[in-house]
Amino acid sequence: MKKRGTLVGKILPKLLYAIVAIALWQALIMIFKVKEFVVPAPLAVFKSLFSGEKVAENTWWVHISTTLSEIAASYLFTAVVGFLLAILICWSKFLRAVLMPIIAVLNSLPKIALAPLFLIWLGYGFAANVTIAIIVAFFPIVLNTTVGLDSVDEDLLDLVRYLNASKLQVFLKIRIPNSLPFVFSGLKVSATMTVVGVIVGEFVASSQGLGFLIKDSQAMMNTPPMFASLFIISGLGLGLFAFIGLLERLLMPWNSRKEGGQA
Amino acid sequence: MKKRMLATFAVAVLFLAGLSAQTTKINFQLNWSISGDHAPYYVAIEKGWFKEEGLDVNVMLGKGSGFTVQMVDADKAQIGISDAPVPIEAIAKGAKVKIVGIIFDKHPNCMFFWKDSGITKPQDLKGKTVAVPASDGHKVMWPAFAKLIGLDPNDVKFVNIDPTAKPAALGSRKADVVFELYTGKPFMEKAVPADQLGWIIWADYGFNAYAHSYIANDNFIKNNPEALRKFLKVSYRAWQYTLNNIPEAIDILSKYQPINRDDFVANLTAVKEFFKTDRYKNFGIGYIDAARMQDTINTVKEKGVDIKGDAKDYYTSAFLPNPPYKFNY
Amino acid sequence: MKKTASLLSRLKTPLVILVLLVIWELCVRIFKVKEYILPSPIVALKHLFLAQPDANYNWLLHIRITLMEIALSFAVTSVMGIAIAIGIAWSSAIKKIVMPAFVFLNSLPVVAIAPLLVLWYGYGLKTNILIAFLVSFFPIVINTTVGLSEIDEDLLDLVKYLHGTKTQIFMKLRIPNSLPYIFTGLKISSTMCVVGAIVGEFIASDRGLGYIIINSQYTMDSPPIFAGLMLVSLFGVMLFGLVAAAEKLCMPWHFRAKGSD
Repeated sequence: MKKRGTLVGKILPKLLYAIVAIALWQALIMIFKVKEFVVPAPLAVFKSLFSGEKVAENTWWVHISTTLSEIAASYLFTAVVGFLLAILICWSKFLRAVLMPIIAVLNSLPKIALAPLFLIWLGYGFAANVTIAIIVAFFPIVLNTTVGLDSVDEDLLDLVRYLNASKLQVFLKIRIPNSLPFVFSGLKVSATMTVVGVIVGEFVASSQGLGFLIKDSQAMMNTPPMFASLFIISGLGLGLFAFIGLLERLLMPWNSRKEGGQA
Repeated sequence: MKKRMLATFAVAVLFLAGLSAQTTKINFQLNWSISGDHAPYYVAIEKGWFKEEGLDVNVMLGKGSGFTVQMVDADKAQIGISDAPVPIEAIAKGAKVKIVGIIFDKHPNCMFFWKDSGITKPQDLKGKTVAVPASDGHKVMWPAFAKLIGLDPNDVKFVNIDPTAKPAALGSRKADVVFELYTGKPFMEKAVPADQLGWIIWADYGFNAYAHSYIANDNFIKNNPEALRKFLKVSYRAWQYTLNNIPEAIDILSKYQPINRDDFVANLTAVKEFFKTDRYKNFGIGYIDAARMQDTINTVKEKGVDIKGDAKDYYTSAFLPNPPYKFNY
Repeated sequence: MKKTASLLSRLKTPLVILVLLVIWELCVRIFKVKEYILPSPIVALKHLFLAQPDANYNWLLHIRITLMEIALSFAVTSVMGIAIAIGIAWSSAIKKIVMPAFVFLNSLPVVAIAPLLVLWYGYGLKTNILIAFLVSFFPIVINTTVGLSEIDEDLLDLVKYLHGTKTQIFMKLRIPNSLPYIFTGLKISSTMCVVGAIVGEFIASDRGLGYIIINSQYTMDSPPIFAGLMLVSLFGVMLFGLVAAAEKLCMPWHFRAKGSD
């Protein structure tokens, strides 16, 4: 019975879900007689994806791979930067007081408003997009990891200090393992934000990529490729999110017992 | 006694009829954020000219020509501003709108670059990097212009940028050329010193299509022809007034929108250049030249759009003011 | 002794911000940065506080509008976010249906679907709140969901052994246990709500600080841009601080175990 978590058992409901959603979409378009230059029908979207034609001056694969590689790089760096900042904040009261306001300020600014500045400072291209994505997405990781590192059982802390553990030992052996659930939560939120951040970077300036494709097709009122891009982008976010979930199950197998649905 | 009551009653009925009779609410969709060429509408509102004609006009900020077409087609706006090729393509794809009047006569498309880049004619663009937002009219019309000047459209490398980043793209030399309306020159000059800023106006090299135009929803045209006529009449009257009273117009605009007056006076002064044509002098502001409109339609056809029907399906001059407001510059 | 310490710690944040402003001013002067790229903070602030000869921006009106949007959006987002999370944690059926849709939704860059949103919902407060919600609901939902699920195994076993009902477990165990997560989620969402409200104004408004910022961007009028951005980040920090203060109130025990010692 426990083996229901097989691959088929997992994928089938999700596939069904997707099919229902697509059917609903097609139905809504037909019922409300939505014109193609506003919202395209699913069929048109698929056709544009698989037609093999060039779109926005490049093949689909070029755009997808550009954005995909930007997302991968951004996410990696976001996680690293986020963790480092969190550890710094947790380690030193001084750094906490200095860094937290700066991070809160940075995070309250809508990055698209800084587009001209980004263009001037970073130019355009892979590195620029990755940088913007990191700036957009690092906050949840920093915050969640910080809270995770902070939230230690008091008694445990007292005990360990009583046993004369050093600050480093406390950090490595208690705080970090303890913070894992928080960390994964932060990673999940940042996953989707990284995707958004990469696209924002492409909106600021780009010559290829899915964000570029969206803007280009939007301009030509060519909605099928635009919507196809949106779906691929969201799919990438979903994929990254699921990947983190998988990682979580691997690293914290004991967790799945506690999921709400069972009790 | 009875007579007086009857008279009062009659007056009251007439009064109420007059009140309810003809205030038509119009949602007017601009093409973009506030710029100098939107001043006339606020001038008309400030001076009560719309109200005089029984129009209650709600000016809505825009997000580009495509968005305007979507809004007008959906009747969320009854009238809007859009770059002519865009509604033409949309009509061919089923949009229920029509072009009813023209705004800029000379086409304001332009390109800016550093003088030291050595560009002196549009053909020099070959191999250069051009920064322009994807949805910008320049990008949409580029293939037609390229053909006109003998370039392959793919001879230039395009970088899509956020519309707010145009001056930054040029100022930081991240791009060789930026496509922007000539009327945006005062803003480009903030990034590139005026004496180092070079420009080429597309119209000077034969680019003849129509640009900003008024479009109206088909149903609105059918059911409220008088309101449409009045709207255009007031708008063109306001244009004539504005072009002859630029500082005052900007003062009025600044009452309604947060703008920097000096910049906008420069901007509107540049706008004026594109109204100074013989056509507008002789036939009035907004005059639609049939041959030019056909050219514009053909340009869209060359893009590969399947243009059905004839010109009458795309525009109409029937609602332009008569007598026209001539621009005596 | 304790009083000075706490006073000093309260001043930390404003001090940091002051230092940042000074660094900004110095950078602009030393590197002779052009005004259209980055104006000096003094110029930006002057634009905010002194009447300008060539512009009248009615800052108070726009500030008021933006503050109201932020407050409303945050209230709506927090309440709905937590409610949704409770629903997800309660029933794995709901989770399976709702979660993929949310992840999908959150990966959509709002600016890409902005024109559609305005086409469907028009300009105005409702659309603004919708956009702010779309931008900022996710952290609350995820964090709260995880918080409701993360319970000490032994404690769970004990309660089940004592025949605790699902509701009892929820109310007495899961919800109190999830408070740190909820507050973390709220903190993240607070700054994102500010971003969302401003982006909402970029997209669907003709009033508010976001509107002034985007308008000035198109016309390269940088002092009001940065005055607006300074105000926006101030609101973000304030909202963040409010949530942090609420956290301290609701969970005073939590802060003894904090790091750095």
